[in-house]
Formats: sequence, structure tokens, C-alpha cells
Amino acid sequence: MFFKLDSFTLIGINAIRVSVEVHISRGLPEFIIVGLPGKAVNESRQRVRSAVINSGFDFPVKKIIVNLSPADIKKDGSFYDLPIALSILAASGQIKCDISGGSCFVGELSLDGKINPVKGLISMAEEAKKLDKKFFLVPYEIANQASFISGVDIVACKNLSEAVEAFICRESIGKFICRDKIENISSGSNSYDFDFSDVKGQLKAKRALEIAVSGRHNIMLIGPPGSGKTMLARRAVTIMPDLDLEECIEVTRVYSLYEKYVNRLIQERPFRNPHHTISRAGLIGGGASPRPGEISLAHKGLLFLDEFSQFPKNFIEDLRQPLENKEVIITRSHLSYSFPCNFMLIMATNPCYCGYYGDESRKCVCSQREIQKFWKKMSGPVMDRIDMRVNVARLPEKSFINTEASENSNKIKSRIEECLRIQNDRFKGKNISYNSEVGIKIINGWLKNDKKIRDLIYTLSGKYNLTARGTVSILKVSRTIADLDRSDIITENHVIEAINYRVGYGCNQGSNF
Amino acid sequence: MKIGNREKILYLLVDKKIKSAKFMDIYRQNSGNINKTFEHFLKYENLKLNLETGKRNSDYTEINTHERDEDEYLRVIDFIFKNKVDLLCIGDDSYPDILKQIYSPPLLLFFKGNKIKEIEFGIAVVGSRKCTAYGREAAGYISRNLSEIGITVVSGLAVGIDSYAHKAALEGKGGTMGVLGCGIDIVYPPENKLLYEEIALNGSIVTEFFPKTPPLKSNFPVRNRIISGLCRGVIVIEAGEKSGAVITSELALKQDREVFAVPGNIFSPASRGCHKLIKNGAKLVEKIDDILEEFSEYRDNLRLLSGYEHTKNTKPHYSQASWIQGNEARIYEFIGYRAKSIEEIVKYSKIEVKEVLGILASLEIKQLIREDSINKYSRLF
Repeated sequence: MFFKLDSFTLIGINAIRVSVEVHISRGLPEFIIVGLPGKAVNESRQRVRSAVINSGFDFPVKKIIVNLSPADIKKDGSFYDLPIALSILAASGQIKCDISGGSCFVGELSLDGKINPVKGLISMAEEAKKLDKKFFLVPYEIANQASFISGVDIVACKNLSEAVEAFICRESIGKFICRDKIENISSGSNSYDFDFSDVKGQLKAKRALEIAVSGRHNIMLIGPPGSGKTMLARRAVTIMPDLDLEECIEVTRVYSLYEKYVNRLIQERPFRNPHHTISRAGLIGGGASPRPGEISLAHKGLLFLDEFSQFPKNFIEDLRQPLENKEVIITRSHLSYSFPCNFMLIMATNPCYCGYYGDESRKCVCSQREIQKFWKKMSGPVMDRIDMRVNVARLPEKSFINTEASENSNKIKSRIEECLRIQNDRFKGKNISYNSEVGIKIINGWLKNDKKIRDLIYTLSGKYNLTARGTVSILKVSRTIADLDRSDIITENHVIEAINYRVGYGCNQGSNF
Repeated sequence: MKIGNREKILYLLVDKKIKSAKFMDIYRQNSGNINKTFEHFLKYENLKLNLETGKRNSDYTEINTHERDEDEYLRVIDFIFKNKVDLLCIGDDSYPDILKQIYSPPLLLFFKGNKIKEIEFGIAVVGSRKCTAYGREAAGYISRNLSEIGITVVSGLAVGIDSYAHKAALEGKGGTMGVLGCGIDIVYPPENKLLYEEIALNGSIVTEFFPKTPPLKSNFPVRNRIISGLCRGVIVIEAGEKSGAVITSELALKQDREVFAVPGNIFSPASRGCHKLIKNGAKLVEKIDDILEEFSEYRDNLRLLSGYEHTKNTKPHYSQASWIQGNEARIYEFIGYRAKSIEEIVKYSKIEVKEVLGILASLEIKQLIREDSINKYSRLF
């Protein structure tokens, strides 16, 4: 007897359909899986046999051949336990199927028949939707992850018996269908337990972060130890606009590849803060069967590299392409895997080896040479992609107990949302969406009729030894400041404010004297 | 090859045993005649020389027990021809007269750039390698003004005060001169490479050390005597108590040069040395006139040299402050001379932070304030 069900495999972040075909024939009892199965797939034979028997069914004592088609793609993971078990039951005539053609199945079986979670569920649900499937049978524990995908009914089953119940009868399937309501998506309330108003003082850095988030400018915080760089960076995520449904799904897709137990749609902006001892594959993504790295986990959110100077130099160079393309492609001999990584980068570093260059009360013990050496490591193309560099000073003790209220995150967030709307209108129809992404051509267009601004720029670049890239960065930031100001044109004031975020202690190191 | 005085001196100097002090003694005894001095050495030091080849005559080998690096002589000669480096010796006309007056003048000077003789009037600006923002401004301000009226700013091409002084002086008429503590082919510290090249082009670079001499620690005090020796006065900006700048000023006193010191903040350890100098009688410098007063005999010269008008350049810079207005003026008034943080400024002025940041940047561009330490500003004038 032959039976066939649809399931999925993952290639990078995308799911593709895999047909699980079972043929049971006479012969010496045997259970074979073909179609480039990996170790985990091959072992599923043992799980399936036990689960079938422990769920009260008979495991056929016949020759069983399972084919995973397309047969030339390597398959790994425990997705196929459930479809194999169901197909064997159907092929051996123990159950009859009502829904097989319009549905698909994934799930790992426990020996007692329980269905365990698998990775990448939401990507598969999206693919199921594309294939016009009606039902998608998934592990109960993580069903909520996929339940926002409209157009395909997510059938959540706890164990093999429940799966069989749903499988054989279209009527009974209703009670397993899991559907979260779209309204459950957060309504703008701030779910973080920290807030921008926690930060006392640091007015310049706060303003800089507001601008950075508004225009998606990558930003570097430079300051002595204990100045609050990490605290500020962590709070930047609270002023980012809420994710919309589409973005939530994208973020959840990446996270579902990273860990199995994601039983909800992720609605917070990701904030990733990898330690500098991270491996290259951990940061960029990779491994034998490629997994998303920290830059992909920060997709649609923030990647915060604390003590940036401690990261190995080649890792930093690896960031160049992902920063530009918003996607990282990992190529292996058999396939290329792509993971999205549209993140905003915040970096923090001390201004020198001892950490106190420019500090008011503690004298820096580094020589000028050491300071330059310190910065030399970071100079180059990556620094060019960092539009803003902001000094953060240590605060005097008394300001910590300052009780004056400062602005909370929601207030700042509403300004940023407004600013994003302006940018969206401006870049409508172009393939960019933020001020930080514009090229020199567009910038020149902005300044075409503005001789005053151009003169100012020349003066400034002479005074502060700015490079061409530095000047472009300043103009991009000026545009964002103008947007926050709801001004159509960039005025001198905007440019002069933008200068603040490029020069200062350590900010313009690298020039020779 | 033409054998001139400089070759003779060079030949003697590659001999480790002949010290320049000894040479000077003999030189003075022979009332400044290099030929006689040279003969003297040949006679008493058992040297029979072949100046053409740099080798000593073989007949005398057994008598001569000096350790000589025979190739050194040719190497140096070769180097100066190949690298467009000039070599001056003490008897030359173009050797600076003022340098001859010191106790142990360098017998040979390697130099790049303008003719040394053209430098009529030099003032040394020296100070700490690790200077503060204040020191940087002070060095720039003083050097720029000195150079504008035709005074050459001499310094040691180190980082910190030295490089800011050089850089500011390059812009003016007087130009600048860097005195090295290593061979002329070595850029030390390496981060000053661009500055070195710019000075070689528009100023001059001088050293008494042979090419390829590394920047040894012991070279710098020796170098400092040339810095002060080339100048009529030494201005010390931001020096710690035991810094090289203080050593230079001590050498300057021995050489009968004027010593000036720029005062700093009394709380700042960076200006300790300057304050000590002032206590011991160095002249306190606030503006260029404080320096020029000490050189009244040259003053007319200087005026001729540059068309310098007494009132024009020393007009107090802070009168600029009168043309700033509105919030800018308010913030400028508030900032004062003790550094204030951005937070304090915002709190006091009740102006929004974005505007304050803009105003601070524009005041900084107008050179009215400076960033003392991170995010703390104080008035410059």
C-alpha cells in the first residue's frame, strides 16, 4: 500500500515542501528511510515505531519504505516523525484519511506518542499558506507561534492519538484548531520594565539616540567606564516604534529557527547584546547546517556590541556586507542560505585603553600614540557606516539621586513615529526607507539650491578635518534632525547640531595631528 | 669629491673617541679655524687620513688604536647627496650665529627645508606631550600669532604641544622649525608623519644626529639644547614638574635665553611645571606683547619684517563675543571659565537640549568656548 503526506524542510529561513511517501509491501520486515536523510531523520524510525505502538496502534511487520521527496535535498531535523507515523498508519489501513491532500504535518514524536516542538514552524506555516493548504498540523506546545498566519488553519495536537483523531475526521478537526486574535497584538503599550526616564542627565546621548533611532543611523557611544553606555543602549529599544504584524512574523521566523519553544508571536523589538568572546558563526550565522547568528536575531531590532574594541577585527569586517545588504548569505558547497538582518547597530567603547581619555576627574594615562593605536583598529569601512559618534560622560554622584522627571520612552517614541512617517512619504516608491540609507546623489539633490549650507559644510569640514564620508554622515543626520523638526529643508541649525554627533573626545581620531 | 670643512668635521666625528666638546676646545684655541683644528687632530690623535676614501692610510694602522666606523663617513656623505638633505658645519656662513654662542654647539647640522640662515628670530614653544584641550588652544594661539608677525616657532616635533605649535605656526610668515632627537630620515613619533612632511616642505627640520640614529631617550635632552639654542626665548606651555619642557627651559637659562611660561588652571597637574617656572622668575605670558616686550631691541626689526602693527594683532579676541546675540550670548555668559556640563547649561538656560547642542557647536566653531572634558565646556576668552 502506498500513502503520501506533505511536510516541510528548512533551507535557511525558508521552508520548502517535502513529500513523505510511504510504501508498505510484503517481504522481510524492514523500515527504511530514503531521500538523503540526516542522522536525526534516520533515528526517527525508532521513535515512530515506539510512538505508534504506545498509542495503541499496530506497527506493521512488513517491509516499509519511506521516501522524502525531493530526494536530492539533504534533510535534517525531527520534522518528519509525525507525517511518517500517520502515513504508516494510513498505508497499513489502520486509519482512513479525510484531509490528507489539503493539509501538511510536522512534529517530533516522543516514545509515548507525545508531539514535541520543532524549529521554524512559522516559516512552514507561511509556505503552507502559499501552497493553498487548508490545515497545518503542528505540535500543540508551539502552535501559537504560527496562529497569526491567516489562510491556513493551525491544528494543534498534543499527541499522536489526537493527531489521528483530527486526521480521520474533518468534523472533529475544529476542536483542535488554534486561532489567536489579531487584536492580541500589542496596542502600543510599553511592555519593557525599563524606560528612558530612568537615565538621569546624559541629555546629549539621549537626544543622539532619538535621532539615531529616527533615521536608523548606526551609532557609537564613547565614554569612560561607568558612564552609562550600556544603560542607554538597552533603553534605545523602548523608543523604537512597535512592530507591525508583518514585522512580528519576520522576527518570529528568525527566532523560531534559533530555539524550539517559541509559543507566541514575538512582538517586542529584539535587543541582542552578544559578548565579545562570541564566535564568528555565532555573530554572523553559520555552522554545518547554518543557523542564524546574532545579527539575524537582531533583525528589525537592535544589535548592541558592547566594548566594541574587544571584538576581533575580522568579525567587525564581516559586518560590512550585512550592514549594507540587510541580509546575510551563508554559502555551503551544496546550497546557499540567506537570513535577514535588517538591524540598527549600537556600539559602545571606551575612548582609549585606560578608558578615561577626556574624563573630567580621572586622568588618562595613555599616550597619544596608544590612543591612536586604539582607534586604528576600528577605522576603515565599518566606521564609515557609523553615522553618529557620541561622547558619554560620567555623571557626578549627586545627579543619580536627581528626582527631576525626565521624558519617558513613550513620548520620545511618538516623536520618532512621526519622523518615520515623514521619511516613508519621502522615500515612497524608492527601495529605501530611512535617511541613513540615502546615497550622495539624493543628498546633493537636497542641497542643490542651498549655497549657504554648502558653504557651512566646507567651513566645518575644514575646521574638524572631516573626510568626505564624514561630511555625508553629517548631512544624513541633519536630514533626520530636520525631519524631527518637521522642517522641509535642512537649515544651518540642523547641520550645526549634527556636528555634535561626529566630533569630540575620540570621535574623530585617526587624523594625523 | 670636494673636501670642505664639513667633510673634515664629519670625518673626525665618526670617530667615537673625538667628542664635540673636545673639538670645540681645540676649535676655540685655534680661534675658529677649522683647518688648523683638523691639523691638530691629525697630529695629536695619530690619524693619517685619506679623505677621499674615508679609509685611514695603511701605514698607520698599527699606531691607530681608535675604534672607527670607516664606512660611516661614506655612508653619511652618500646619504646627504641622495636625500636632498643639507649638512652645515659650525664654520659655515649659513650656520646660525645664535647657535654658535652656546656652550656646546652642534658641530654639524643636518637639515631639510628652508635655509636656516633665513630664520632671523626664533622662539621655542615647548610643552607636554599629553596636553589638555587648554594647552592645545594656548599653543595654537601663541604660535599662530608669533608666526604671523614673522617669528619662527621652534619646537621638538613631538606629539602634544609641540605638534600643535608647529601646525599653527605653519600658517604664518615666520614659519616653523622642528628639531629632532633622531636621524633626519626617521619620523618619530610616527603619527607625526604628515606634519613632518609638511614642515619639510614649508619650514625646516634640523638635527645634529647622524642619519639612522634611533630616537634614544638620551638624545632628547641633547636635542633640547639646540631648541633653546636656536631661539631667543623659550615659552613653556603645560609642563609637568619634571618634564622635558622644564629641562629645555633650564638649558635656556644657561644659554642666556629668556624663559616664558603660560599659566594654567591651579588645580590642573598639567601646568605644575609652568607655575613652578613662574614662581622662579619666568615671565608669565598671556598675550604676544608679553613676549615682545622682552625683545624691545628687535621690535623695530620685527615690525619692519612683517608690517606688524602693535594694536592690530593683540586686539583681545573676546571682543568677538560682543557680536553674538540672543540665546547664544546667554549661554556664552553662563558657561564662564569653570567647565559646565551640558546638563547644567540646559537646566540653567531652560533652552531645549537640541538647541543648546547647536549653540555649543556654533560657539565652538567661533572659537569662543572649548570642550574641556567630555561634554563639559568652558569659555576660551
